[in-house]
Amino acid sequence: MVENRPWLTFFTHLVLIIGVVIVVFPVYLAFIASTHSGGDFLRGLVPLLPGPNAVENYSKMLFEGISTAGAPPLWIMLANSTLIAIIIAIGKIIISLLSAYAIVFFKFPFRLLAFWIIFITLMLPVEVRIIPTFAVVANLGLLNSYLGLTLPLIASATATFLFRQFFLTVPDELMEAARVDGAGPMKFFRDILLPLSRTNIAALFVILFIYGWVQYLWPLLVTTDSRYYTVVMGIKRLAATADAEPQWHLVMAAVVLAMLPPS
Amino acid sequence: MQTKRTIFPNKLLPYVLLLPQLAVTLIFFIWPALQAVKSSFEREDPFGFRTTFIWFENYTRLFADPNYVNSLSRTAVFAVSVTILSMCVSLLLAVAVNRVLRTNRIYTTLLVWPYAVAPVVVGILWWFIFNPTIGILPYMMRGLGVAWNPRVNGDQAMILVIIAASWKQISYNFLFFVAGLQSVPQSLTEAAAIDGAGPFKRFFTIVLPLLSPTTFFLLIVNINYAMFDTFGIIDATTSGGPNQATNTLVYKVYADGFLGLNIGSSAAQSVILMLIVIALTAIQFRFIERRVQY
Amino acid sequence: MATINLVDLHKDYGNSHAVRGINLSVADGELIVLVGPSGCGKSTLLRMVAGLETVSSGRIEIGGRDVVKAEPAERDIAMVFQNYALYPHMTVRGNLEYGLKNRGTPRAEIDRRVNEAAEILEIGPMLDRKPRQLSGGQRQRVAMGRAIVREPAAFLFDEPLSNLDAKLRVQMRVEIRKLQRRLKTTSLYVTHDQLEAMTLADRLVVMNGGLVEQIGTPTEVYDRPATLFVASFIGSPPMNLLPVSALGNTQGLNLPAGTDMVGIRPDQMHLEPRPGATALPATAELLEPIGGESHLHLRLDSGHSVILSVPGRPSITEGTAVTVYIEPAALHPFDSKTGRRTDA
Repeated sequence: MVENRPWLTFFTHLVLIIGVVIVVFPVYLAFIASTHSGGDFLRGLVPLLPGPNAVENYSKMLFEGISTAGAPPLWIMLANSTLIAIIIAIGKIIISLLSAYAIVFFKFPFRLLAFWIIFITLMLPVEVRIIPTFAVVANLGLLNSYLGLTLPLIASATATFLFRQFFLTVPDELMEAARVDGAGPMKFFRDILLPLSRTNIAALFVILFIYGWVQYLWPLLVTTDSRYYTVVMGIKRLAATADAEPQWHLVMAAVVLAMLPPS
Repeated sequence: MQTKRTIFPNKLLPYVLLLPQLAVTLIFFIWPALQAVKSSFEREDPFGFRTTFIWFENYTRLFADPNYVNSLSRTAVFAVSVTILSMCVSLLLAVAVNRVLRTNRIYTTLLVWPYAVAPVVVGILWWFIFNPTIGILPYMMRGLGVAWNPRVNGDQAMILVIIAASWKQISYNFLFFVAGLQSVPQSLTEAAAIDGAGPFKRFFTIVLPLLSPTTFFLLIVNINYAMFDTFGIIDATTSGGPNQATNTLVYKVYADGFLGLNIGSSAAQSVILMLIVIALTAIQFRFIERRVQY
Repeated sequence: MATINLVDLHKDYGNSHAVRGINLSVADGELIVLVGPSGCGKSTLLRMVAGLETVSSGRIEIGGRDVVKAEPAERDIAMVFQNYALYPHMTVRGNLEYGLKNRGTPRAEIDRRVNEAAEILEIGPMLDRKPRQLSGGQRQRVAMGRAIVREPAAFLFDEPLSNLDAKLRVQMRVEIRKLQRRLKTTSLYVTHDQLEAMTLADRLVVMNGGLVEQIGTPTEVYDRPATLFVASFIGSPPMNLLPVSALGNTQGLNLPAGTDMVGIRPDQMHLEPRPGATALPATAELLEPIGGESHLHLRLDSGHSVILSVPGRPSITEGTAVTVYIEPAALHPFDSKTGRRTDA
């Protein structure tokens, strides 16, 4: 729309710039803090400009860790987080694709029941069933294992619904043409449906990877062995070293590293 | 429920396809949930040898416990504040981005990425900024004559977690508001402009009402987020303190059950939380269904 | 190439009956058009032949073989869909090859057939493009090509032209007809467009309410509609249907016993006197010139509305009184109770 109100345009940009500052500032501060030496914080105020210790801080975090805080080198935790996030994302996508396919392209007894069972997972986040879920995983002997870290998080009502919605928009004729062309159910799934879902799968992978990456409560519950720590929980441990003031410059280096992969 | 016009005739295959999802769901979701319901009616003796069925005693105790009632009200304050603060800021930013034409992609990119930051990390960032000895905001506030120490002052601790939780949620709300604003037909605002309505009047009489489905959806999502997804933020900052001031329901389940090993009480709290999620999900689902019918 | 036999075919959805007892024999190489309003069961019937719908009762034979229980792929048919149903992520070549590959056709044979089809349909230059890069007409050709390369016993067309614009539709209609003549493949063709049906069909099957109203060549169906439904469905503008009473004195018209309705084609009503014709007084209500001819809407003095199609552009102003002449031979006599023709 053609409309010329200079003061309103100015105000708009002002709002956006303030917004961006609010969103960026905490992270900027983290980055600044990670470039200073520990001593710089004792003076009582966080510096606002980068310091000279960036390389030193980051290499210490990445390759040595902080033994006093029981934190292994960060690269191990980064690798763990990456692995776990990938397993969770791929696992969710696979089992959701399969179940959405079953629900949309087949009719069978208990179809509605199956749908509702999947739907119910939306209503049962880990946070509301902490103890019994922990007990199940413990009984299965999955504590301190990648399987225990990922498998219980792999069910996904959201992904199943998204794929279901998408499958319903695929024209009926496409499946009929494939049947006339001699494709059975699994062949149709592989040759036609999967390639068509590519964009959806890619978008969902990003979201689910982030979901896996930011998990905190679940890894906290099922890991006691530092070999399985994820970056997110590792940082928390660093920041909460007893009653002492944490080594902020190192914590912030870890924070910056932990934010990089998903972005 | 909808299927395709023609379907594959296979009898066994759909069950095989559903098996992984259903197995994970039953083992790690449904079964533990049922266990929680069961233990919420039981008391376990301190050594775990014997459990007694005690009907609703865990529940009645819970509501007689001032700490739990306090946690309920703290959670309500927290959830409502986070929802309002985060949604208002996001709406303002979304409306602004929707007005600028050329630079909106840059702004959008800069505003969206906190979505990928883990709640715990968000908590640590803000704990750092609000740190009474080295934090930059307390320093500025001391200049204004405000004594700032969220480790001691419960209200300040609450403000801290509200700000941190809202900051994290801005990007999510922002994306949905931008999408909602873009679906408001341009012709309507143009018609209103021809009718002589200025930008502010147009916003409040045309755009905001048409945005109400998005707003309602986000309202539920945000309450849900504030209640359940903020565990990390609280754990990284106040750990529920000082003196229970920020002990939300979810944090309390964890603290009582996992750290305090009070299984019965924790289970009862879990069940109450489940009822809350079910109610929120039901409202949300009804809303989505209704919108589909339009 | 093959014959198709449908014997007492039924399709029920719970309590509703989509197809209620169809018998039809399609000769080898014949093009049969199933035509009728939407919901008449023509698409369901075609999809049953294809194997995309189950059969409630009855028999389907393709090339003498009962295929009721066979998968679509085992029926040796190829289908052209209304929205073409091209696989969007495959190239044109990939679309043409897919069915052959699934059947394990040797590579050389696949290439031969694809090239041949591409040549027939003039889509050679497009073989490496994706469907979304093609125009509507080109997609239509690819859909045809996918059917041709299979060299099936029968083609099944499900309203293949209804997504095209009017001009392209006429052009593709001609091409389909030529192609079918050339390949001599038995074909079932579903459409709701009666003009398409008339021009394409060797024989027409007019359907209504899950039943066959009439089977015959286009000329037979146009010249001697078997039922009131066919009379009103085939022909544009539609046949005028009047109660016998509207004709006034029916002596000398020789209407068969039981006749209470008569139909007259719009071009069989005249404004000039004809020997032996019945004269009906009327008032002109609207004149629609449509190029070479005009449609004249009249109200008979008996109160019934009729449409005449008259050559040229008669100078009749609305509201003037005219007289309409109908020759007895132009009358189609019907019994409105049974809906059937009375001189059959």
